[in-house]
Amino acid sequence: MAKNGEKVLGIEKDKFRAFMGKYGISVILFFMMIIIGIVEPAFRSANNMINVATQVSINAMIAFGVCLALTTEGIDLSVGAQLALVSCILGHTIVNLGWGIPAAIIVALAVSTAWGVLNGYMIAKFDMFPFVVTLSTQLIIRGLAQVISGGKAIPITNDAFKKIYSMKIGPLPFPILVLILVTVVMYILLHWTKLGRYIFAVGDNVNAAIASGVSVMQTKLAVYALSGFLAGVAGIIFTAKTGSAQSNIGVGYETDAIAACVLGGTSFSGGIATIPGVVIGIFIIGFIYNGMNMIGIDSYYQSMTKGAVIILAILFDKIMNKK
Amino acid sequence: MKKKLLSVLLCAAMATTMVVGCGAKEEEAPAASAPAAGETKEEAADAAKAGDVNGDGKIIVGYISKNIVDPFHAPINDYAEETFEAMKAEGKIDDWTGVLDGETDPNKQIDRATDCISKNCDYVIILPAEAAASDTAVTQMNDAGIKVIVVNSKTTSTDDVALGYVGPDDVEAGRMLANWVIENNPEGGKYIHCQGVIGNSAQIQRGEGMAEVMASHPEFEMVGESACEWQADKAANAASDAISKYGDELVAVICDNDDMSSAAQKTCNDAGRSDITCVGVDGNQNPLQMVKDGEMGATVLQDGPGQVGGAVTMIEACLAGETPEKEIMVPFVLVTKDNVDQYLK
Repeated sequence: MAKNGEKVLGIEKDKFRAFMGKYGISVILFFMMIIIGIVEPAFRSANNMINVATQVSINAMIAFGVCLALTTEGIDLSVGAQLALVSCILGHTIVNLGWGIPAAIIVALAVSTAWGVLNGYMIAKFDMFPFVVTLSTQLIIRGLAQVISGGKAIPITNDAFKKIYSMKIGPLPFPILVLILVTVVMYILLHWTKLGRYIFAVGDNVNAAIASGVSVMQTKLAVYALSGFLAGVAGIIFTAKTGSAQSNIGVGYETDAIAACVLGGTSFSGGIATIPGVVIGIFIIGFIYNGMNMIGIDSYYQSMTKGAVIILAILFDKIMNKK
Repeated sequence: MKKKLLSVLLCAAMATTMVVGCGAKEEEAPAASAPAAGETKEEAADAAKAGDVNGDGKIIVGYISKNIVDPFHAPINDYAEETFEAMKAEGKIDDWTGVLDGETDPNKQIDRATDCISKNCDYVIILPAEAAASDTAVTQMNDAGIKVIVVNSKTTSTDDVALGYVGPDDVEAGRMLANWVIENNPEGGKYIHCQGVIGNSAQIQRGEGMAEVMASHPEFEMVGESACEWQADKAANAASDAISKYGDELVAVICDNDDMSSAAQKTCNDAGRSDITCVGVDGNQNPLQMVKDGEMGATVLQDGPGQVGGAVTMIEACLAGETPEKEIMVPFVLVTKDNVDQYLK
């Protein structure tokens, strides 16, 4: 690979720079994996790779939604609370009301999407700051979760539901398949469709977008609705994983999601994002957690290490971009 | 062009990972079979191998903490670290995972459990964050053939699948809290209850024990039960709210832990109401200091390191080829001015 890189560096310098600017972060991921793999052989097992991919699936769903919001120069802080609400809806409908799993899932996703639509409506219609709107709605959403569950944990003993997390198709657990499917759909949506171009346009220069006939309202509604929907999917995986519905889950989950987006080159000032970048960001976060535990880094230093790795990765990316 | 480059790079990355992965398997395979062969020969001579659960010739212990930020868990984690480092130095175990941070989040604990499975652990000690939600971590490791020891609070299927359980009798702790309040306020009065995270077995059982004793004391009336999530500041707020609402009628603040009770007591003292009895469970350093300084009457000490110690004896029994006890209950101690020096470090 290094040889390949040098050749490009020698012959097509500009293209190499452009490439590193865009995908330099994947090089970081690659070296991270090699270093951890050398220090701890158990890290390299196929099993562990599948573990990490399964572990990151929850953060991935959230990160895709947050990435869309960031691209329109917004943010969605309500995603962590959405996890709790979806979890409590699932617990209440399946356990207390005895609903079937498909019905419960449809209702849970509908509710989380509706909250997304509401976020988008308030942001687009009244031109309120996304930060403030979603900061407030997350309180309401978590409050609703507490009301539904009565603050208690509802154990979901339904094996069919728990299978959503543990079921394997071939060697791959179901959450990985969801991750792959959502990644492909998100890639097509953001990079190949009209809506994707509108999202970039709104985030890049909202006035120019309006002037060229882009509906800011519809674009933002779609973005926050998708973010809500994806948080709902994350909530379903989370609940199937823990087998318990409760209102205190998902606190602070937006942090890891935002970190993954930023690592993947998503700009806070909007208009810049790539889905492959976000995927790499998600895996960097996942490998930081998993790798540090596999190596056995003292957990008191893990938080510091995580912060330092994220900052250094972004810094490295920036320097590569500037050259 | 960029896309082409990306695909070349990703392919290269994938190919390298595969080569590295396969290489690892090749070098691991003989390594794993060699000690196995040696084992059969000197089976009787090597007693330590008796406890090798997964038969890979290495004894690896995992330790999944509840978190690394609560004052109650710090000494427990420190004790685990000292103990396992010592066991590793003595050669009783080959390796341990270090203190894995559970972040008081069942999702993260399940992830740490899969990490332990990847690391080929033989024994894992887990301090669950939640009774129901953390249970997947226990069952998953059990399914992978790991012997799991649950410490501090039980998960739903602990009794069925875990090797053993070491923990406190939280119902008894709840009774001790109520009795202390009754002893100090013979005339009775109003009190509030600051709860831990709702749904946590410690919260449920301490509440149970408290309610059980208070049921036969009609002179006491509970006027508020707030979910303070083990947080000191929330308990302090609940206490100041109750003082302004009930004034002199408020006689006690019972808390599920003593981070909360010490904060509540401090709020009461600051408001000139040091007569209010605040009491909680754990025996953290700050509350103990307050007991020593006479700022707080008592605290109910939970011997956290003792619980991990119990789990270690279970592992040692397995390593010696014996069957360990299924359940160990570590008693609570009421700490007052008289015996505080014994526990304050």
